[in-house]
Amino acid sequence: MELIETTRQALRLLFAGDAELWRIVWVSLKISVGALLLMSPVAIAVGYLLATQRFPGRRIIVVVTQALFAFPTVVVGLLLYMLLSRQGPLGSLHLLFTQTAMMIGQMLIAAPILVAFTLSAVQGADARVRETAIVLGAGRWRTALTVLTEVRFGVMAALFNGFGRVISEVGCALMVGGNIAGMTRNMPTAIALETTKGEFAQGVALGIVLMVLALGVNFAMSWAQGAGAQPQ
Amino acid sequence: MNMASTVPVALRDGAGDRDAHDRVVVSCHGLKRSIGAQVILDVNRLRLARGRIYLLSGPNGAGKTTLLRVLAGLDRASCAAFQFDGEAIDLAQYPQSVRRRIGFVHHHPLLFSTSLHANIGYGLKAAGVARAEAKRRIADAIEWAGLGGLVDRPSRALSAGEKQRVALARAHALDPVLYLLDEPKANLDERGREMVTSLIGC
Repeated sequence: MELIETTRQALRLLFAGDAELWRIVWVSLKISVGALLLMSPVAIAVGYLLATQRFPGRRIIVVVTQALFAFPTVVVGLLLYMLLSRQGPLGSLHLLFTQTAMMIGQMLIAAPILVAFTLSAVQGADARVRETAIVLGAGRWRTALTVLTEVRFGVMAALFNGFGRVISEVGCALMVGGNIAGMTRNMPTAIALETTKGEFAQGVALGIVLMVLALGVNFAMSWAQGAGAQPQ
Repeated sequence: MNMASTVPVALRDGAGDRDAHDRVVVSCHGLKRSIGAQVILDVNRLRLARGRIYLLSGPNGAGKTTLLRVLAGLDRASCAAFQFDGEAIDLAQYPQSVRRRIGFVHHHPLLFSTSLHANIGYGLKAAGVARAEAKRRIADAIEWAGLGGLVDRPSRALSAGEKQRVALARAHALDPVLYLLDEPKANLDERGREMVTSLIGC
């Protein structure tokens, strides 16, 4: 009955406030939320421009963005590793195996999701939103803000989706973070690596946190999409 | 106005104040809009005077909405000479200052999913009108359109006629010299039509 015993230990770790465990959760949240906060203004702006402007090459950018959805995160990690490693072009920044490197990786992973979801949200917006703003004398910024506010549930879906992707991502975090205890060890890397060392209880406890987060994000996302689908 | 499009569009100079401000608001020659090789709007000459009400009529697809959208700066068109309120305007770079003096209302107007106040004050905020002044003008517009009883209702809970009146009030708050109304009374019940009639005066 090792399974039951492990689960019992996991729950004890969770509810007794095990410092190491919650430190790992904290590192995970800090990096993922930080990556989203840094990336979303740029990605949302790009998504908005792709949806509203017509320029040569636009179609290609849209297709590439959608293709990047399926880009293996471990390859993002590999590319970033090569850039940041001591011999790499950005080696002098000494970012490899830091939280910053993990954050950069998650920003790159989240970007196509944020762009594509914003793009489809803005494209799905009623054309009259933009036109009404324009005829009432709004400038570019106010018009953009108005449109994004009107499709806010779609933009929220973009953020939830991006978060869901980066919080559970293991390949890139492992490669550029290195799973250093107390530093770059986040939930996915801890589960992936510590389990092989026999630390089952911690793995299960983190697995529970990760699952609760993933379910919460999915609930939030379907709520956002449902609220966005309500008729005007 | 002469419209050289294949389907005739008529512009009827109707009711309105004929004596007071017989000043030209819009005048243009050779207004043309094409999509690809197809010319969808071709107006030889258009002249609209201040204080008048004009009725644009014609069959579906004749270009009525397109003409309004071109004048509002929503659709691009080429024009030999375009003057707005005595000022020569390049239609390719439709200036913001002209937009604020035109009140365009869609066929089915869209209200932003904000409060009724925020909807009516939208253009004033965009124009940078001071808060106290904006508040006064919003109150005036609400009173003008008889919307006093609706201010607390969410915009999506309003009827078609109520939405139409909010959209008119939203345009009215900017005190435009020209209103461009695309079928303002379509799809309204009798009461809605009457109320809109009393607002726009025809």
